[in-house]
Amino acid sequence: MATRIDPTLLYEIKEYGAVGIEKCFNCGNCTAICPLTSDEYPFPRNMIRRLQIGQRDKLVQHLDPWLCYYCGECSETCPKGAEPGETMMAMRRWLTAQYDWTGLSGKVYKGKGWIIAMLLVAAIVVIGLAALLAGPMVTSQVELNTFAPVHMIHIADLILAAALGIFLLSNLARMYFFVFGKEERQGIPLKIYLTGAWTLVFHTITQNRFSECEDSKRRWTNHLIIVAGYGTMFALIVVFLGWFQTDNIYPIYHPQRWLGYLAAGALIYGGVEAVLGRIRKEHEMHKHSHPSDWLFPILLVLLSASGLTIHFLRYAGLPMATYYAYVAHLVIMMMLYVTVGPMGKWAHLLFRPFAVYFQEVKAKAAQLQRETPAEAVASAAD
Amino acid sequence: MENIQVDALVVGGGIAGMQAALDLADQGCQVALVEKEPSIGGKMIALSKVFPTLDCCSCITTPKMSAVAHHENIQLYTYCEVQSLAQNGTGYISKVLQKPRYVIEDACTGCRQCEYECPITVPNAFDSNLGGIRAIRVPFSTAVPQIAVLDMETCLFCGICEKACPADAIDYSQTAEEFEIEAAAVLLSTGFEITPPDAKKEYGAGELHNVIDGLIMERLLAPTGPYGRILRPGDGKEPESIAYVQCAGSRDETLGVEYCSRVCCMYAIKQAMLISGSLPLADITIYYMDIRAFGKGYEQFFQNAKAMGVEFIKAKVASIKQDENQNPVLRVELMEEGSRVEERTHDMVVLSVGLLPAYNPQAVYGVPVEDDGFVDIPAPNASPCNTNRPGIFVTGTAAGPMDIVDSIVMAGAAAAEAVAYIHEQEPAGSVPVPAYAD
Repeated sequence: MATRIDPTLLYEIKEYGAVGIEKCFNCGNCTAICPLTSDEYPFPRNMIRRLQIGQRDKLVQHLDPWLCYYCGECSETCPKGAEPGETMMAMRRWLTAQYDWTGLSGKVYKGKGWIIAMLLVAAIVVIGLAALLAGPMVTSQVELNTFAPVHMIHIADLILAAALGIFLLSNLARMYFFVFGKEERQGIPLKIYLTGAWTLVFHTITQNRFSECEDSKRRWTNHLIIVAGYGTMFALIVVFLGWFQTDNIYPIYHPQRWLGYLAAGALIYGGVEAVLGRIRKEHEMHKHSHPSDWLFPILLVLLSASGLTIHFLRYAGLPMATYYAYVAHLVIMMMLYVTVGPMGKWAHLLFRPFAVYFQEVKAKAAQLQRETPAEAVASAAD
Repeated sequence: MENIQVDALVVGGGIAGMQAALDLADQGCQVALVEKEPSIGGKMIALSKVFPTLDCCSCITTPKMSAVAHHENIQLYTYCEVQSLAQNGTGYISKVLQKPRYVIEDACTGCRQCEYECPITVPNAFDSNLGGIRAIRVPFSTAVPQIAVLDMETCLFCGICEKACPADAIDYSQTAEEFEIEAAAVLLSTGFEITPPDAKKEYGAGELHNVIDGLIMERLLAPTGPYGRILRPGDGKEPESIAYVQCAGSRDETLGVEYCSRVCCMYAIKQAMLISGSLPLADITIYYMDIRAFGKGYEQFFQNAKAMGVEFIKAKVASIKQDENQNPVLRVELMEEGSRVEERTHDMVVLSVGLLPAYNPQAVYGVPVEDDGFVDIPAPNASPCNTNRPGIFVTGTAAGPMDIVDSIVMAGAAAAEAVAYIHEQEPAGSVPVPAYAD
């Protein structure tokens, strides 16, 4: 099959934060030192080579960037200082933009102006909606559910979650169609998708592949803390908001309080740790942070901090401050989802486990193909 | 203080310095050759054979060493170091330190009785510390001059050598002496060092038993070597499979060495050929990034090695570990076999280490070095032997990585430049006309 060569690809990926791809002289040190590379997915050199010669069509099918967890060994030992680890990172950003059919992802990744514009849009939309829809501000005592009735907020949350889901799942579908060619899809029976599903659940919860990265236990633990905090908070807000957002004041042992504290604490701890890592730049991964890498943990910390602020202001009995903090909290939330949301860094929460899952599906399909003649596979798929 | 007046001072008595001194002397110049070691010969005298002709190294080097020692226009100062250099008109005056040998040089006959009787054995630096040598010794069998030197660090003062010496040459109370050399021109031929064994932690940082460097392999291959045959140093086993790791010290930013050392490909190929001769059943694999066989006859040499069955694998070795049998285990991406990553076990690994600058002449000579640490040559195309100071020339690997062929060529060039400079500065007739011109 003919392969298209795109000489501009290299410069395009550089816009996504890759540094030093052109320095690479393809010695293969990076692949050989990588603890996660495999015979089926030998990265990063193979991918960097494709990138240098501009095989756009091939690269968009690659799962490799999602299978890398940036332990940084390749960048540390690269004899040319070509930063292969950062190239993998940039490839994840680029792939996210390729999966995203709206085209916004690429714009936000490539331009700081777009990030600022999106942040402003988020603020204007949320403040505008608040001005239009918010209830009366009771000043005699804190009545958050009068200012922002919980059923309305819950509906808004569900709409937002649905929107996120639609964008995310449609992008995931595009990823699936990129990764699996037409013939390949026809050769894979449903049974394989189902039997591989455990991998998906397991990796979503544990991010186990991350822990296989050398010397990355600390980063993996921190990542687990963030994911646990985020998952808990997401459930509390999207599913159990009626129970979580209340004007009642509960005792400290009530789960509404300690679950909230734990989740917010985990997010703040993990987020601050991630930001500090980017400031210290000790780990290879943190040496070339892209604006989106900064924005994600910073917004997570601000989101949790503003949530806690609402809580404490309410307990302190300061009505106006509570209401303003609440609007600020919503603004930050919207900022998070429009900049690093389904078109950005946040989306890796689906792409990464699905990449491991797709890898498993491919391996099982290949095994099946080895075991049975081609005709049998075709008939099984029918 | 003794004052010696010559036309040219050559600093460093390796192959480049010796050749430059001989070329100067043959053109009628008075030459002082200063060498910091007790013998001249440099790195080359320790090598086994040269590429691409496979000529014996000693057969090329020892005649030159003898010629230097016996040339009527050359004064040889071994075990000496230049301490300082000052401008002296258009020439230079340098202070030189003669380090004490604890042996009276004029009395010693090189009979080695002291060495045979000495009870102290220390690692032999000439054999890359593989074999042993006595605390008092003639540095190596073909050393020039044949004068014993006592290693005061390890000496017990037992007095046995003093009694054994038939020439009463032992002098424990000898001290360092300074003297001056006045010269119209100075040639720097201070040579190179190899990548230190602990440079790359991915390659075991010098801790692995059967990972050696190219110079050690030269000694194992040399007829005068420590074992007289190829044995792996860890346990003395005869290796059945030997791997070469190319660029193990060059073209690697993590080591701060971005340049190509120019000799490693060729010496690895040469050693592979020599091993094929002495261990005909051994498997030899060379892991390389690119083979740089650029000189006259080099490409053919490379092709010959391939034809002889040396295996060439395009892969940068990422790491070397050691298994329970002390066998080095290499991790490589086999990019010509579907980019498979494989761990490959060999009996012995030779690191094709690179060439590093040995000496920074800035402090003593006021001659700066470039970013890579080699002597700065302001106009490398127009005058490749000239430093920033008129009358100070550079030659051999002090100027940059190069092989023996190029070192000898450059030595001749530097000598010619120096002679022209000396003639320019001195009134006609003060420099004798070469004998062959008659």
